[in-house]
Amino acid sequence: MTQLAFSDMSKSYGGTPALADVSLTLTGGRVHALMGENGAGKSTLIKLLAGVVPADEMRVEVDGKPITLRTAADAHAAGFRFIHQELNIVPQVTVAENILLGHAFPRRFGFAVDWAALRKQASDALAMLGASGMDLNAMAGDLAADDKMLIKIASALVAEPGQEACLYVLDEPTAALTGAESQKLFAVIERLKARGAAILYVSHRMDEVMAICDDVTVLRNGRHVMTVPIARTSKAQVIQAMTGKDVADAYPPRASAISDQVVARVSGDAGRLRSLFFDLKAGEILGVAGLAEAGQTELLRLFLGQGRVAGGAEYAGKALPRNPAEAWARGVAHIPQERRSEGLMLEMAIRSNIVLPHLKSAFASLRAETRDTLAMGQAVQMKMEGPEQDVGQLSGGNQQKAVFARALMGAPKLLLLEEPTRGVDVGAKWEIYQLVRELSAKGCAVILTSSDLPEILGMCDRVLVLQDGKQTAILPTQDLTSADLVTEFYDTESTPA
Amino acid sequence: MSDRLRQSATLLGFALIILFFAVRLPDTFLTARNLLNISQQLSMLMVVAATMTIVMVMNDFDLSVGSMASLAGIVAAVLFVADWPIWAALSAALLVGLLGGVFNGILVAVIGILPFVATLGTLTVFSGLALYISEGTTIFGRDIPAEFSGFARGGIPLEALGLERLKIPALSLVAFAVIAVTWVLLEHTSFGRKLYAVGGNREAAHLAGIRVVRVRLIAFALTGLGAAGAGLMFAARVASANPTQGAGLMLDAIAAVFLGMTMTKRGEPRVLYTLVGVLMLGIIDNGLTQLRVDSFIREILVGLIVIAAVVVAHVSKRRGK
Ligand SMILES: Nc1ncnc2c1ncn2[C@@H]1O[C@H](COP(=O)(O)OP(=O)(O)OP(=O)(O)O)[C@@H](O)[C@H]1O
Ligand SMILES: [Mg+2]
Repeated sequence: MTQLAFSDMSKSYGGTPALADVSLTLTGGRVHALMGENGAGKSTLIKLLAGVVPADEMRVEVDGKPITLRTAADAHAAGFRFIHQELNIVPQVTVAENILLGHAFPRRFGFAVDWAALRKQASDALAMLGASGMDLNAMAGDLAADDKMLIKIASALVAEPGQEACLYVLDEPTAALTGAESQKLFAVIERLKARGAAILYVSHRMDEVMAICDDVTVLRNGRHVMTVPIARTSKAQVIQAMTGKDVADAYPPRASAISDQVVARVSGDAGRLRSLFFDLKAGEILGVAGLAEAGQTELLRLFLGQGRVAGGAEYAGKALPRNPAEAWARGVAHIPQERRSEGLMLEMAIRSNIVLPHLKSAFASLRAETRDTLAMGQAVQMKMEGPEQDVGQLSGGNQQKAVFARALMGAPKLLLLEEPTRGVDVGAKWEIYQLVRELSAKGCAVILTSSDLPEILGMCDRVLVLQDGKQTAILPTQDLTSADLVTEFYDTESTPA
Repeated sequence: MSDRLRQSATLLGFALIILFFAVRLPDTFLTARNLLNISQQLSMLMVVAATMTIVMVMNDFDLSVGSMASLAGIVAAVLFVADWPIWAALSAALLVGLLGGVFNGILVAVIGILPFVATLGTLTVFSGLALYISEGTTIFGRDIPAEFSGFARGGIPLEALGLERLKIPALSLVAFAVIAVTWVLLEHTSFGRKLYAVGGNREAAHLAGIRVVRVRLIAFALTGLGAAGAGLMFAARVASANPTQGAGLMLDAIAAVFLGMTMTKRGEPRVLYTLVGVLMLGIIDNGLTQLRVDSFIREILVGLIVIAAVVVAHVSKRRGK
C-alpha cells in the first residue's frame, strides 16, 4: 500500500505559529481523521499539502522517496486531490465547467474544448456521488449550498486518463450536507478506499468520524497531540485530546419553562411556502426541518421581510418586519446560511463585523465597540489575535463564531438560526448552545434550521416539517427519534414507503 | 509584513520627491509662501477628492464631479447676473449639486445601473446643462460680485507669526473644514461604519440590517454637494465661471483616492490618506512647473506615478492572501 509521509510541517502567519512541527503518515486504503478545535491548524495543514500556501518547513515522502511539494501543480501531479473547507465555486459558469475546474479540459483537434467529453466526465463524477440528476448546464451560482458542496466533491473525483489519485483530502465536506447526502459521500469514500487511495478527513461531527475513519490524529494549538487507530480510542478520549478537558458531545437540556406569551404567529401561504400554520412562544425553540431546500431558509427569512404572507402573520403584536433593517431594529437577529457571501465582510475587522447591526447612535465609539467585541468574542470562545484582525483570516469555525457573536449581541427577542454551528468544534458548540438556552430562559424565541438532525432534536421544543415548501406537520421533539423525523420528510401519499 | 512595506513605500516615495525638489529648488520650494500657494491651488481638488472618498468607500465611483463643478459655477454666475443675492445664488448652486448627486444615487442605488455607466451619462448631462445655461460662454467681469471673488483672495493673516504679507488662504481653510467634516463622518459616525460595510459586502450588509439603498443615495448626494462646492470655490478664485472649468477635477480626485489607498492597512479608502494623495499630486505638479518641465510631460509623469501606485497596491494585496 502507498505510504505518504509528511514530516516536520510548520507554518506561521506574521510570527504567530498556526502549525508547529507536525508529522503525519497516511496509508493507502485507510481513512485518517484530522481533528482539533477551531483554529487548531487543520486547514492550514491541508493548505500545505495542497501547495496553496508556502510551508515554512515540510518534508514529503511517497513510499520512501522524497518529492518536492511547493505549488498546487506539484500536489496535483503527485496525485493529491482536495476539497477545501470554504466553498470556492465560480458562480458565473456552469456546473460541468466547475467540476472540471483545475483539470485539463478535454480537447478536440488539440485546441477546441470537447464539450461533450467534458460533460461526460462531469456527469461520471456526479454519478459516483449518486447525484446524476443535477443539471450540468445550470449556473453554479444559482445552486443551493448542499449542491455546491456536491460539485466540489465531484470535482475531486474527476477521473483523469493515465493518472490515478493516491490521496483525497476532505476538509469538512459534510458541514453543508444533509444526512442522506452524507451517506452517499461515505459510500464514495468506501469505494476510494477499496481502490487503495489514502484519505484525510476533517469534520467536527464526532459520530461520523468514529463511524467512517480508521485512524485519528489530533492537533491542539498547531501542535500534534496524538495519533491512534479509531478502534483503540473513544469519542470522549478524542474530545479530551482536542480540548484538554471533558466536554460532552451533547446538547444542554432545557432548564426553564416556556411562557404562554405568543411572539409570532403565521398562517397562510407565502410564495413557495404553503399551508403555514404555527405560533411561537417567548422562550420557545422551534426547529424547521425537511429535505434539502424544502423551504427552510425561506420560512426563516419571512421574519426579515423577504416574502409576503398571504393570510395572517404577526411578530410582537404587529405585522412582520418589511426588511432586514426593520427586523434588527425590532429585536430580530439572524445567522445566514452562507457565512462568507451573506454573513461577513471578510476584509474588514472582526469588530466591524460584529457591531454592524447594533450601530444605533449617530456617533460611533471605537472604545465601546472594542469592549463589546472582546466580550462577545469571549462568550462564543472565538480564537482571534484581537478585535482589529480581519475576519477573513480566522479559521472557518471562528468565522462562524463571529456571525454568532453578532446575532447574540444586543439581547434579541427572536433569533433566526440557519445552520448555526456549521464548522464549529464540539466544545464551542456546547458553549454556544448554552448561550442559546440562556437567551431562551430570558424569553427570546428561536427558530432553527439545521441539516444536522441531532442538533434539531437536541435543542428544539417542537419541529416544523416542510415537504417541498408545504408545512406537513409540527411535532414535539420529546421522544422523537431521527428515524421518525426523517420519515416525515417524505410525501408518504404519493410514494408509499 | 509586506503590508507594512506597501503602506510605507508610497510615503517614502513622497518624502523622496519632496527632498528632490527641495534640493533642486532651494530658494522657492520649501517656503511658506509656496506651500500656502500650493494649499490654495489644491483646495478645490481636496474638496472633490474628500467627497469622492465617500462613494469609493463603497466601491462606487462618481465620474460626474468635474462637470457638476462646472455646472454649479455657471448656475451661481447666471443667478448673479439675474441679481440674486450672493447667499441665495450660492445656496441654489449647492442645491443643484445635491440634487445632481441624488440623481446619480437613484440611477445607481435604486435602479441598479453600474456607477461607471450611470455617472458617465450624468457627466455628459451636467456638462451639457452647463453649456446650455451659459450659452457656451464664460461669465466674468462686473457680473461677478466683488464680495464673492474677494472671499477667495482673503484669509487669515500670519503677521503674528512674523510672516509679513502672508495669509492662510480662505479657500484652503474651506478645504480643511470639508476634510475635517468628511473625516468625522467616515471615521467616527455610524453612517461611516455602514458605508465601509456596504463596500465590504453589500449582500451581507443588507442582511445585517443596513439600509443599503439609502446609504448609497446619501453618499452620492454628498459627493455631488462636494463637487458643487468645489465649483463655487473655483469660480470665486478666478472671478468667473466657465462651462468647462471643472473638467480636470474628476481624474485627479480618483487618482488621489487611489494613491491614498496604497497607504492604508487593508487598501481601503481613508480620507486622511486621500489628502496625502492630493498633496502628492499637487506637490509634484508644483515642483515640475517650477523646474519648467513641459506640461504634457508633467501629465505623463503624474499618470505613470498613479499607475505605479495602483499596481503596487494590487500586487501586494494579492500576495497577502
Ligand atoms: N491568512 C491568515 N492570516 C493570519 N492568520 C491565519 C491565516 N489563516 C489562518 N490563520 C490562523 O491560523 C490558525 C489556524 O487556522 P486553521 O484555518 O488551520 O484552523 P482549523 O483547524 O482549520 O479550524 P476550523 O475548525 O475552524 O476550520 C488560526 O488561528 C487562524 O487564525
Ligand atoms: Mg478549517
